[in-house]
Order: sequence, then structure tokens, then C-alpha cells
Amino acid sequence: MPNARFIPRRPLWGPSLVGFALAGLWTGPAAGFESEVRTRVAAQFYGLSGPFGDRDILRRRYTHTLSLGLYELAGGERPGQPRLDARVRLRLDGDLGQSGAERNPETEDRFVPELREAPIDLMYGYVEGRNYLGGALGFRLGRQYVTDALGWWSFDGGLVQVTTPLYFRLVGYGGFEQRGGLPLLSTDRFEADGVYRGERFGLEPTQYPEYLDQDELAPAYGFGIESSGIPLVHASLGYRRVINRDVVATVPFVDDSGRIATFGDNRTSTERIGSTARVEHADVGSVGGSTVYDIFVQKLSQYDANVDWYATPWLTVGAGYEYYLPTFDADSIWNWFSHNGMSTAEGRVSARFTRRTDAALTGGVRFYATDGDPSDFPSTENPVPADAANQRSADRVFDHFGTVAGNYRWGDGSVGLRAMGEKGGRGHRGGGDVTLVKLFDDERYDSKVIVSVYDWSDGLRPDRDATSFSYVLGGGVSPRTLFSQVRFGAEWEHTTNRLVGQRYRVLATLAIEVSK
Amino acid sequence: MNAERGAAVLLVACVAAVAVALAGTTERAHAEEATAQAPDKTVGAPLVHGLAPMPGGAPVPQAYRPPGSYAGDRGPSHVIFPAQKLTIRFNHKRHVRELGMSCVTCHDQAKTSRKSSDSLLPPAKRCDGCHLTDHRDLDAVTGAPGELIAQCRFCHVGYQPEHGNRVARQVVPKPNLRFNHAVHAARNIACQQCHGTVQNLELATRDQLPRMRRCLDCHDKPEAARGEAKSACTTCHLSEADGVMKTSFATGRLEPPSWLRNAGHDADWLERHKRVAADDSQLCANCHHEDECVDCHDGRVRPRNVHPNDWISMHAVAARQNNPSCTSCHQIQSFCVSCHQRVGVTLSGPTSNLAGRGQFHPPKSEWTDPPRTRSHHAWEAQRNLNACVSCHVERDCAVCHATAAVGGRGGRIGGSIGQGSNPHPAGFRARCRTALRKNARPCLVCHDPQDSKLAECR
Repeated sequence: MPNARFIPRRPLWGPSLVGFALAGLWTGPAAGFESEVRTRVAAQFYGLSGPFGDRDILRRRYTHTLSLGLYELAGGERPGQPRLDARVRLRLDGDLGQSGAERNPETEDRFVPELREAPIDLMYGYVEGRNYLGGALGFRLGRQYVTDALGWWSFDGGLVQVTTPLYFRLVGYGGFEQRGGLPLLSTDRFEADGVYRGERFGLEPTQYPEYLDQDELAPAYGFGIESSGIPLVHASLGYRRVINRDVVATVPFVDDSGRIATFGDNRTSTERIGSTARVEHADVGSVGGSTVYDIFVQKLSQYDANVDWYATPWLTVGAGYEYYLPTFDADSIWNWFSHNGMSTAEGRVSARFTRRTDAALTGGVRFYATDGDPSDFPSTENPVPADAANQRSADRVFDHFGTVAGNYRWGDGSVGLRAMGEKGGRGHRGGGDVTLVKLFDDERYDSKVIVSVYDWSDGLRPDRDATSFSYVLGGGVSPRTLFSQVRFGAEWEHTTNRLVGQRYRVLATLAIEVSK
Repeated sequence: MNAERGAAVLLVACVAAVAVALAGTTERAHAEEATAQAPDKTVGAPLVHGLAPMPGGAPVPQAYRPPGSYAGDRGPSHVIFPAQKLTIRFNHKRHVRELGMSCVTCHDQAKTSRKSSDSLLPPAKRCDGCHLTDHRDLDAVTGAPGELIAQCRFCHVGYQPEHGNRVARQVVPKPNLRFNHAVHAARNIACQQCHGTVQNLELATRDQLPRMRRCLDCHDKPEAARGEAKSACTTCHLSEADGVMKTSFATGRLEPPSWLRNAGHDADWLERHKRVAADDSQLCANCHHEDECVDCHDGRVRPRNVHPNDWISMHAVAARQNNPSCTSCHQIQSFCVSCHQRVGVTLSGPTSNLAGRGQFHPPKSEWTDPPRTRSHHAWEAQRNLNACVSCHVERDCAVCHATAAVGGRGGRIGGSIGQGSNPHPAGFRARCRTALRKNARPCLVCHDPQDSKLAECR
């Protein structure tokens, strides 16, 4: 149903480019503190087609990032001194290949929710203090990342870290999760998965009801404790909770009155506890592992254990086990569809034969076991017939895999090999790349050649298999006369296989880094 | 008899000749050590000592090497301590053990130097007192005539008389790190504690430079016991303006050794790095900007070392085989679904993209009808839900799995009997109460608020 209120978004190309350009020219004062500006532009031109071959997507992508760093705003010239830094990074992510109809909900037969032509996001922007109170206190304020046992995450707020003399460090933080759809230059990259959501501006309630509205900030907080300075051992424990506050659709079907039911209580989005531990002796090896417990799902969603033996100073032999159960935002129905996770067991050998040559070999098995019996909610409207007991018989699915990687480096170049193979009930993949990099004229010019051959088949779609051959030719030049570091680069990629015929991709890049 | 006498004389002569020859060899071998007492009788004899750490280039016993070194470690980092070119023949063992000199006799600034860029090699004129030379004017160096130890070639390797005043240049580059000898000396840390027993060696080479493993004996102690030996990497390593370690040098790229937190950037580091980052992200932050993380984990240009060429053709198989890897960079309900809707492989999405499309999943008889074999969608969903979620929105699942009361399988709308197929895993009943209390929204997607099943969880 056409929505008269819909006003197409105006592209932000003009002001964005001007703003980025002006900001890029500013390099800060020459004294008092250090400043650094990095800007990177990537233009990509390529096409995609669906497996049915008749839906081509033209990608005409322009990505522009701009980073600004201000360092030693309040001392910190020497290691260990208190220091105050500020960092910010913006990104313009444009795709001129989209059609306007794809972004206009009035053209229902073409409209795709969440598609935006040139969004700008503030990837991070924060002020950071370190080594205050004799090295005991550190903090961050602003949009920032957290990396811990719970994964890679971003929020807007504050973080405080206290290092005690008692072999442990405390971390506490609070703020709002970075989410797409909010008017804060955000992306949805860091929110929990399983929920299709964003700004529903211009959409009728009955249009894409499963595309949930996101217009409320999502409070988040967490804390952690981490060992500090204990010989041979490192361990950490972290907790994080995020809260959903939006009024969202529940049943994705209209009710008798033609409306969509909604739900709007404050509720858990994610709530997890993660831990890691590692014991290491430099002459012997390392034993470590991690766990993630999803408090909402009430299951261990991830755990792993690994052992590495430093057999010789240049040879490491190891083994590992990893379990992964997909879990989602608590708004998602899919937390209650996952049964058992996937397990991966692997062995590895890694060798650094010389300073120039290294290689690694891994091999293992990935397996899944059904849980066999039906759940203890045996039926709803249509109970499982008694004679169909085998419908949930216990069984296992195995995949076998292996990888080989190696590098040889010399003064102004390198050659690398990455090859892999995986085979199982869901198909097979096998092949590898050889990458050659060569620098010329004291690194003023660089070149790259990649040649790949892969053979693959889709186990669930017998008609989908191919052998792909690809190559990449790339090069760059780094003139050093204008700025501290500048590089212009270009790459040409050509792929061919029986399903897609010929496919091409062009990538042009410009990177500038200025420090004062 | 004469023959026997003759043979005996010949034998004695031979033995004597051998003895004299051996004595002569020994004498020549130690000529430079004896010249302090002997006159110049061996000019032209080969100078064999002080050209290598051990006589004849023999391997250096491990006990003589710096603490923290190990057999086969190929010496200290070539990035930190660039290659040297030593053109001086010098016998430390002779000077220290036999002549009684100490380290600071020659390296007089070793206990007061505060910067690693200080050259602690003794100036040539330091040798003049004993070697009867005069290096005050390096353009006109002189030596006592007739004294071997005063000859240029005695110390300067490869020197020939026709070279005049020119000798080969010695190259000892500045190390790429911070180091304050004075602080360490003030804490009574002896030279040997970092450099090994140089007094047992002839020539001291790069191999006698310190090893980080030894540094960490003090600099990686518990905070309370650490004292002034700070543990920050930049205590010793050079840093960039933003405080992270400088890792790119003309001599190469600085990477952690395997034994340091198991963080060796070996050929399979790409696959392993998540374990180290999850356990100790601050370790990574010592060297890496967050830009390096987001360029891959939130990037917009396909990293070729992660997704090889023609990845787009293979990605569906890869996602089904190993979906945990996908979610480390991709938000599947936005990144994946949006693109899949645009190319028409989804059940939802623009209707113009759905027309005339082929069969994506196996036939209905395998994919949705009983019995549940390995090709059944239930198996795939239970095993690998991320792959389902990369194309399907929850409405697609609710059509069958929701109860009729809320419209499942047509429900209220079409008036048909709802399917209500139960997707819950074993043991769900024990967990549903807590889940419902924390977030009831997913329950209400499939269940009517008055559903008796919901009431069991309240």
C-alpha cells in the first residue's frame, strides 16, 4: 500500500565529500600534541548474480574512511606516564549501483528494507586516558570497541579499567549498544544477530512486519575481571547485558482487525558470561580455552580448548576442540530452534623454518549430532504421529577438512600459498591461491599477482558445482613527495567458472596518512 | 747394522722434525698473545684468534650465550638488532681472562649510557696505550715499528699495507629499541646477565646481544614484584605517536615470537588469532590499531586472504559447512538477507525478484516432508541455523511453526488448521520460564498470549 508520508532520503554525497575533504586537510597544530590523519578511498566496480543467473546486482561502491588521532593531549611522552588521546573514524559507504526503487517502500515489488545509498557511520570516536593514578586507572569515553571472550562489540558510553597490585584488573562499562537505524551514524554490525531491524520510516505496519523498528537506544553494561601479572597464567571473566526497549511487532500476521500485534516492554537483548584461561611456559607450550554462557538461552553457546607444544623453537604442534551453538538476540525466535551445536576438532603443525620461510598444516573433522528424541513439548496442534518415531532419530554428520599455508619472503617481495579442502554431506570445496608480491624502486612501486583454482559442489543442490579459476593483477605507487605516506593502487580481478561465465572486478584505492 | 742405525737416526729425525713443526705451529697460533713479551719475530704470520667467537669458528657453548637464548634460535631479532659488519679482530677472552681487564675498561660508557643509540664501542685510541699505536688523528694513524700488536693488520681484518691509512668500515647499526644501561647498572645487573659470558669468547658478535626472554624475567613479573621494571611493551620497544608499538622497520616487520602468549604470527595465524584476542585483547593492542581490526571485521573491501577469488560462488557451501566463521564479521540478518533479497533467493523480499526463480532447496519430498533424513530442513536448521537465518526472516518460519491461534499456516486468516510444528529442542521446558521472564517477545511470535503452552512457562 503506497505511503503518502514517504519522502525519499536525499543522498548525502555532496556534503559528505566536502566534509571529508575539509577534514582531511586539517592536520592539527604542529606543537603541543601529536596529530595524525588517515584517509582511505576505495572504489569497487563489479556485478553479482543470483544462483538462478537472472538477477544481476551492479556494485558501484565508493567507500571513504577518515581517521583522526590526537595524541598526548595531556602528557604521555614517556612510557608509563599518564596520557590522554582522542581518536575518531568516519566512513562513507556509498553504492551507486542501487536503484532508487529498491529504497522506496512505495515500489513494493522492488523495495528492500534497510537499503541505503550512502550511509555515513561513526565507526569509533572516543577519548582515552591511560596510566592515571600511577598506572592503576584507565578510561575511555565515546563510541568504542570491546574485545573479550564475549566477542567483538561496540557501544557508546564509558569504560573504566582499574589495575590493582593484587594480580587482577577490573573493567566496567556502560552506555548504549551501537545499532543500525539509530540517528547516531551507526551500523548494525555489532548488535546481536537474528533480528532484522532498522528504521521503519515510511513503512506501513503491515509491510515487512518482521523488519522490526529500531528507534530506541539500547542500554548496555558489563564488567570483567582479568588476571594481571601472574606468571605463566592469564585468565579473564566477563559479563555483558544489553536491553531492548523498542515497541516491535510480534506475530508477523495481521489479526482479525487487520492490525499487527506489538510488544514493547524493556527486555533482555543479550546477556552472556564469557571466560578465558591460558597457561603457558615459553619452553614447553600453551594450554588454553574459553567458554561463553548465554544466560537467556541458558546454555553454553561456545567453548573451546587447545593445546600447543613448542616442540622446537621453530616447530609448534597443537590440537584443539571448539563447540559452537548459534544464539541470537533475545527478540529473535531462533534461539529456540537451535538444538545442538557444531563441534570442530583439529590438529595443527606450524613451522618457521627460517626467518624467510614458514608453513602451517591443519586437519580435522567438524561434526554435529542430532539430539534424537523429540522435545518435552511433544506437540501443538499436529502431534507427531506415533509411527513416525524415526523422524528424530539420532545421527551424526561429519565434515573433514584440511588447510595448508606457507610463505617465503625476501627483501622486497614474498610468495604465499593458501590451500584448503573440506568435504562432507553439505558439499565439498578444495583449492588454493598463490600470491606473489613484489616491491620495486625502494618500495615506491608495488605489484601483486594472485592465481586461484577452486573446485566445489553444493551437497544440497546437485546441479550446483563448478571449478573456478581466477586471477588478480594489482599494483600501486607510493609517491613520498607530497605527504607522509600516499599510495595509489589498482586491482583487476577476473573469475571464470561454468555457472557464471566470466566475472570481472575492478578496485581502485587511495590511501593518505599525515602525521604532525 | 748400519742400516738399522740409519733407520733409527731417520726415525729420530722425523720425530724431531714433527715436534719442531708442531711447536712452530703452536707458537704461531699464539703469536699475537705472545707478542706482548716477544719481539717482532712473527711478522707475516697468520692471525687466527679473535676472528670468531670460538677458535676455529667452533660453535659457542650454550653456557656462554646470553641468558634467554636457546640452541638454534638464530640469534636475536634481526628487526631489533640489524645485521652488523665486524671488521675488527678482537679477543675478549685474552683481554679479560688473561690480561685482567674488565668490561668497562674498554666499554667505559656501558654503565652510564641512557640511550640505545649511544655507541658503546670503545674509540680506537682506547687501544693505543697497550698496542703502541696512535689513533688520535684517524687520518694519520701510526704504530710502533716492528711491533706486531701495533700493526694495522693486527686488528683490522683484511688490511693490506698498500691500503695506507684506510681500513674497512665497521657497521654496527643502532638497535630499534629503547634501552637505558645506567638504570640497569644501578640495579647491579652485571653485563653477563644480559650479554652472556663474553669473557669466555674471542670475538663478540650479534649473538651476544640480549634476548627478550631474558628481559621478561624482570619485566614480566607480577606487578607487586616488578618494581621499576615496567611491563609495558613500549618500555623497551619504540612506539608510534598514538602509543602503540612501532612494528615496521627498514629491517623488517616486528612480530611476536611463538613462545610469547602463543601469539606467533605463523602461517595459520589468521585462523588462530581469535583465541589470543579473546583471551588478552590488550596484548594485540600493544601493536595494532583498531583500524586494522575493523578493516576486516567491519570492512567494505573483501579481504582476499580470508575470502579467496570466486568466493561469491562458493560462499553458500562455505556458510553451510562452517558458519561460525561468517558471524565473526557479518550480521547475517542484515548483510546477508539484504543481498539475498536483491538477487531473489529469499522467500520474502521484492516480489519482482521472486518471479520465475528456480528451486533453491532440495525437493519438498526431502526438504519438508517426513521422514527427517539428512536432507531434511529440520536437520539443517538444528545443526546450522545461521545458514537459514542468512536468507529467511522469522515470518518464513512462523508460517508453519506458529500456532493456528496467531495465524500459523493460514490460521485465523485462511481458517485452515495451523501447523504449530514444535521446533523447541530437548530440555526446553526447563528453560522456558526464565526465558519468558527475560523476554517474552519471541514467544508471542508463535504463541497466543492465552496459549496453554505459554501458561506452563509462567
